[in-house]
Amino acid sequence: MKMTKYLMLVACAGFLAGCAATVPMELTKARQAYQYANAGPAAQLVPAELYKAEQALDRAEASFLKDPDSFQTKDLAYVAERKAMMADALASIASQKRDAAQANRDYQSSQSEIIAKTKEDLSRTQTEKRQAATAAEAATLAVRQQARLDTQQRSADRAALDAAAKFEAEQQARREAEQRTAVAQAQLAKVAMLKEEARGLVITLSGSVVFASDQATILPAAQSRLNQVAEALMSTDKNRMLIVEGHTDAQGSAAYNMDLSQRRAESVRAYLISRGYPAQFIASRGIGEVRPIADNASPEGRSNNRRVEIIVQPGTNQ
Amino acid sequence: MRHLNPALMGGVLLLAAALTGCASGPSFHQSAEESKSAIRAAEVAGSMESPTAGYHLHLAKEQLARAEALAAAGEKERAASMLTRAEADAELAIALSHEQDERADAAEAIERVRKFREDNQLPRLSID
Repeated sequence: MKMTKYLMLVACAGFLAGCAATVPMELTKARQAYQYANAGPAAQLVPAELYKAEQALDRAEASFLKDPDSFQTKDLAYVAERKAMMADALASIASQKRDAAQANRDYQSSQSEIIAKTKEDLSRTQTEKRQAATAAEAATLAVRQQARLDTQQRSADRAALDAAAKFEAEQQARREAEQRTAVAQAQLAKVAMLKEEARGLVITLSGSVVFASDQATILPAAQSRLNQVAEALMSTDKNRMLIVEGHTDAQGSAAYNMDLSQRRAESVRAYLISRGYPAQFIASRGIGEVRPIADNASPEGRSNNRRVEIIVQPGTNQ
Repeated sequence: MRHLNPALMGGVLLLAAALTGCASGPSFHQSAEESKSAIRAAEVAGSMESPTAGYHLHLAKEQLARAEALAAAGEKERAASMLTRAEADAELAIALSHEQDERADAAEAIERVRKFREDNQLPRLSID
């Protein structure tokens, strides 16, 4: 009896061990499917669906423990596998939705980026355009300013050159005039007495040298001297006003002396004109005996008083 | 109750269990209709346009046919259990069909971004 019971127990254990070893294919696949889904994004994205799959697998496992080879176990395992696959598919859907949403956000941000970039480009273009216009305007102004400065500089240079040339010419002219004057005065000094007075340069010709006694005609011997006087006057400045004054001594009547002095003055004037001095710049007048330069009591004094004075007025015709 | 015939008592319990089952659980006909509805939904979802979804739709139809055959053979319990397979396959076909649509939509959205950025000479994004 004991032996019979022992054999029955061994048979039962063997039976149970055989059942445990023969897991239905559906259950094997369900376990694999669940493990696959559990390792994927389903746990994070669709935990509720994964939980349903887990519950379905638990039901299959429970059925397997209860009745390993039953159709219920196989069907439950089959359904559990599909639940796991469903969880995986739904996780994939959630992932795709997430990617699509991200892509749409990226599209919008890309559009915003383009708009911002376009605005920035436009702004930069406008700024560059304004800067270019400003630079061009500044360049134009600079060119104009430079041209104006150049013109002014050239004008100033030309004016400076002109002024320098003019100054030099004036200096030269002055030097030449002074030289001519010095030469003329030297020449005059040889033939006449010169004296600087307030009324001008006074050239005094002795009346006895120029005229015969009681005559107003110029002696031929005196002509060369008058020629020198005329050349000297014209070499200096023949546009200066000359006044020829005739003077006598106190012998004879005053009226006579006045007339004689006037004629003598006029004779000298005419002679200078004949030598080329402009007539409009020579005046003559008789002074008579009223302005002696020496004592009429002595013969020498009277000789000095008989004279002709040519007064070269300072710059009266300028 | 103490002298109640055990055989009679077992019959009473069996009857009560059967009545309880009829009252609480759906009939095969109801379950079959639900499976058919799921299969139609999978068809409407375009499961036949996807190889994987179409395969599971095909399986669902096969399970439904087998369940109806079992039911016709009087094996209603097995038939009801088989219907759960059909319904699970149909629902999976719907999900796979939607997954394909979502995958296509996502790919299109990503391609649109990629092309837009390429056309406008913007740097590529990591999602590309």
